[in-house]
Amino acid sequence: MTTTPSGPAGAARSRLEPEPMPRRDFLGLAALWSAAVALGFALIGSLRLPRAAVVPAPSRKFRITLPETLTAGEPFLPPGRSVAVFRDAAGVYAISRVCTHLGCLVKNEASGFQCPCHGSRFALDGSVTKGPAPKALPWVAVTRVAAGTYMVDESTTVPSGTKEKA
Amino acid sequence: MTAGSSRSTAPAGGATPAMQRFLHNLRAVPRQFRASLLRSGAPTTDRSRSSFVFGNLFLHLHAVRVHRWTLRWATTWGLGIMALSAFLLTLITGILLMFYYKPYPAVAYDSIKDIHFVVPTGQFMRNIHRWAAQVMVVAVILHMARVFFTAAYRAPREYNWVIGMALLVVTLGLSFTGYLLPWDQLAYWAITIGANIAQSPREVTDALGLTAFFDPGGLQRFILLGSDDIGEEALIRFYLLHVMILPLALAALVGVHFWRIRKDGGMAKPADADERVGAPDVQTYPVFTEAPTRTYHLAAIVRGRTPAVGRGPERTLPAMPHLFYAELGVFMLTVLVCLVLSLVSDAPLKELANPAVPENPAKAPWYFLGLQELVAYSAFMGGMGIPMIVILGLLLIPYLDRETDGTGDWFGGPGGLSLVLRSVVVGLVAVLAIEAFAIRFGWIREWFPHVPQIVITLVNPGTVLTAIYAAYSVWLVRRYDSTRAGALGLFTCFLCGFLVLTIVGTHFRGPNWDFFWSPSQWPVH
Amino acid sequence: MNTLRANKWLLLASSVGTLVLLGVAAYRENVSREWRRLQRDYAAKLPPAQQAAFTVQLRQVYNPALHASDRCISCHVGMAAGETGIKGDRVFGSHPDVVHDPLQYGCVVCHGGQGRATEQADAHGTAPFWPEPMLTRTASVAGCGACHTHVAVPKLDELRHGQALVERNDCLACHGLDNRGGTLRPGGAPGVQAPDLSRVGAKGYTRDWYAHHMRERAAASGGPWRTSMGEISPQDQRLINVFLDSRVGAPRLVDAKAVFHTLGCRGCHKIGGVGGDDGPDLSREGEKDPARLDYTHVPGDHTLANWLGQHFRAPGAVAPGSLMPVLGLSEEQINALVLYLQSLRRSSYPEAYWPKDRVLAQRFGAREFAADGATLYGTFCAACHGLRGEGMRYPGMAAFPAIGNPDFLAVASDRFISATVQHGRPGRRMPAWGAAEGGLRPAEVEAVVAHVRGFGGVAPPAESEPARWVRGNADDGQRLYAANCASCHGPQGEGKEGPQLHNQVLLTHATDRYLVETVRRGRRGTSMPGFANPGSAHRQLADAEIEAIVTFLRTWEVKG
Repeated sequence: MTTTPSGPAGAARSRLEPEPMPRRDFLGLAALWSAAVALGFALIGSLRLPRAAVVPAPSRKFRITLPETLTAGEPFLPPGRSVAVFRDAAGVYAISRVCTHLGCLVKNEASGFQCPCHGSRFALDGSVTKGPAPKALPWVAVTRVAAGTYMVDESTTVPSGTKEKA
Repeated sequence: MTAGSSRSTAPAGGATPAMQRFLHNLRAVPRQFRASLLRSGAPTTDRSRSSFVFGNLFLHLHAVRVHRWTLRWATTWGLGIMALSAFLLTLITGILLMFYYKPYPAVAYDSIKDIHFVVPTGQFMRNIHRWAAQVMVVAVILHMARVFFTAAYRAPREYNWVIGMALLVVTLGLSFTGYLLPWDQLAYWAITIGANIAQSPREVTDALGLTAFFDPGGLQRFILLGSDDIGEEALIRFYLLHVMILPLALAALVGVHFWRIRKDGGMAKPADADERVGAPDVQTYPVFTEAPTRTYHLAAIVRGRTPAVGRGPERTLPAMPHLFYAELGVFMLTVLVCLVLSLVSDAPLKELANPAVPENPAKAPWYFLGLQELVAYSAFMGGMGIPMIVILGLLLIPYLDRETDGTGDWFGGPGGLSLVLRSVVVGLVAVLAIEAFAIRFGWIREWFPHVPQIVITLVNPGTVLTAIYAAYSVWLVRRYDSTRAGALGLFTCFLCGFLVLTIVGTHFRGPNWDFFWSPSQWPVH
Repeated sequence: MNTLRANKWLLLASSVGTLVLLGVAAYRENVSREWRRLQRDYAAKLPPAQQAAFTVQLRQVYNPALHASDRCISCHVGMAAGETGIKGDRVFGSHPDVVHDPLQYGCVVCHGGQGRATEQADAHGTAPFWPEPMLTRTASVAGCGACHTHVAVPKLDELRHGQALVERNDCLACHGLDNRGGTLRPGGAPGVQAPDLSRVGAKGYTRDWYAHHMRERAAASGGPWRTSMGEISPQDQRLINVFLDSRVGAPRLVDAKAVFHTLGCRGCHKIGGVGGDDGPDLSREGEKDPARLDYTHVPGDHTLANWLGQHFRAPGAVAPGSLMPVLGLSEEQINALVLYLQSLRRSSYPEAYWPKDRVLAQRFGAREFAADGATLYGTFCAACHGLRGEGMRYPGMAAFPAIGNPDFLAVASDRFISATVQHGRPGRRMPAWGAAEGGLRPAEVEAVVAHVRGFGGVAPPAESEPARWVRGNADDGQRLYAANCASCHGPQGEGKEGPQLHNQVLLTHATDRYLVETVRRGRRGTSMPGFANPGSAHRQLADAEIEAIVTFLRTWEVKG
């Protein structure tokens, strides 16, 4: 049962009767939207937090000194790294030892590389000879710094066959 | 209006009626989604505003309608919501800091350095975390003062006052446990003092010769530190308390605290609040106009009265939007204050903690410096005795003050503002006199080197000050024939004492806890 | 205004303010950081081809074994892996050629400072609350001492002599050495580029280099092999070898350490467990936190180097209560000593990174200083007894004994001197240097004794009599002692201007002949007269009286 109390026109209304459409509440809308934008800006800003600018891992670029006695086809494995560096008449090159299947480190053998995890086999130039690996081991960038010293950049791949002059 | 489930056998080629209905529904998804979110429609009528509140999992802790007296700025100054907002800020920034902080002594300090230098927004987050924690402690203390001075602790709100005291203790605990985590000189030595204060009951058990059989002090210290010294055990315990145990306890207590507000009938108001808040705004209209004295059953489970029964001409407003604007406003103000502080002042980080090189002076966090000032005379009294007396006194206030005169008004009760002002004078004079005396002349042991420690435990600046305040309070009770008057005097004195002791401990104590007028006078080394 | 509007205004103002402040914070973080500006400057100086490949990002050298997360290369981008240094630029140049690869070792292990920081004041360690500021550019070689704690150095004069010989014999005509020398011929005539000698002490070199040079000289018909080579005597060859053995790539540090070992500092200070204990242990002196030092009497910057330098000039003023005398050192010596002290750091790096010299010293007991008598004497004794045994006199201190005094050496046997060195004089200033207390081995003690013997130019006494032979009257001796000796040696022999006679080490090891002869002859140049001869300031004593005195002295000896 509803009753409309008497009084000044439009002064008091019953709870069952909806109010007339109010004037646009600019202040309230502005206040709420500015709060939302501010908090949204804060949220977006803090989304970058989980990714630190540097991580506690060694740099992907590192220097190596090749031993003089390295023969062609014999890999040089810098300790703590996952590349194999070769030197032959054409120059110096480095092949990543991270298996392209699921990331295990391949072991080198006389005729190339073998992955102990699922049996993929690669030739000495990284191409796949057998196994579940979908593509060849990538060659990574090598730059000559001084006689016998080279900078290897694991994060940059180069086309297979690229060799840096010794 | 929904697309019907009738089938049509119209041939393929051209939009069939079913296809049309499907496309219509697809286009209407945004509107329908919004409508499904708000089960009762947009909160433009009182009915929809009400169900907006009680139909929402997160919001239905609020009352659907709030008295206009409650919404006045001068009633609460938003201090409770400010404390909660500060807590939310510390919670969010704390969780973000947990991505990088590592709670083991060998790496903790370095992880904080990394947060400063290589984590995007890291230094900013840490600053906000630290400042929001300070704001929370200040807000909690001011909130307690507000509740006291408006006598809002009176029946039926005594238990909520007790919950509030528990919240105060948990807040200080959160601040204290967080203090150790950076593992720098400031942290290490502040917690050394804190742990030794935890051990201070030994002062009493030693004097009574009981320590060999009954050593609560040693037990407290060991449980806190997990070991005899402050090392990786202490750090991991403090971390556990800081990020898990105490926040959960705080959240639970906050829930109870807000629920009690509902059940206690909202904020405390003066008996004549309705008249004083004046005629209602034209935008509002009366509730319960039809039968204001009727009882309402709540889901027919309990027969009884709701707290809102017996209200006369309407003085309540819907929580949506009135209360929510107030809460949001206070929240954003707290955010703003914390941001300003964070941009101008960096959270401190001194050298790596070095157990071989004590900080001199080694100071506890600022909210404990008043206690540390007292601890300088008696470890037990300053560390445990006086705090326990203070907390006990505060807890008893609502149970001892059962008067009704002045509830809901600032400085309400016999005596009023003038009593409070006079108590400020008494409180300040007493604490300043005691401090000046002790600083200038020393205390008992300087004059009587062989006096047993138990004498000093019982007679020291802290106990003397407490006795003076208590005597004054009792005098007020007699003078005004009112417990409330005594409580007003005692609480005011306590605030003044706390303030002065904290200021002395912060600014006027230097190496070896000697008195200096300014840090420039501190001796080198 | 009603409360609702007031709250809306509050919300609006706070939110707008928050947004502005967040914008400021975002700008500070992403645009105006110091290292970002520096990297943009660096990129601007690069050739266009490389500019495109350069990204502005934080860079670090990470080596967990050395606790290195060094972000220095975020500003000093020229030194980062894969980046090119800009020649001549103070900030962006490449790292000079050094023994250890900075990209593997990090920067802080040698230079000090705060590696994790990315702001200059924090990174250089000059901001408050970092206890290890970066070493200055000129002192950066002191950083080697963090790992190379036991670099072997020769005697200073041999080192300098060897260096002079290398110069004089025109070795630098072909050999590069410490950034000097190498093939330089007027008019660009072709020369022989010989191996660089800067690090041969560490890398090794052929010991018969002289024979090799002579062979080449004989085989050559002209050119530098003939013109630059000459004969070198075997003694000069030895000195050149000593010099070459010390070439490890840190010439100033080696020189500084050699200077240190001529001034007898270890007579009072321990380093690495070897030395006296009158003064503080200096093993980690270079790690002292400059912020905790007292600069009241130290002018200039509040740095450790300044403090140490001033400490040498006026120890008592800089460190109140210090027993260290004013040594009267030249500024050159003080600079060398300050450099050496800054290198005294014992950083706790894993054994995999221990250099050879440290392994040899800490595992196999090799000495880091030459073990010949002269160097040992210069290292441990010279501060008190003087480089030539003359006995030093410092203001405010009693004079130290002149152990090079010929009268002393004529009556003191090598055995007696050796015992004194090993056991010291308990209760007096001479510490015990034996293996247990002072760390000197028996062979080293003997070398020191032989060196001391060489001061006086006198032969040791022939010890043909029994050690104890006097049979005088002790009561007479007591009387005579009180009358003639007590004024200088003290009534109980406790020692005043004269040495302490009531000293168990002295009494145990001195023979009766030593005591008798000392009283009879005295010591020229000191206050001890020869009582066998008449004199104006003392009464002449007969032999029987002297023996009585010695008998009395013997009563102080605790047998067994």
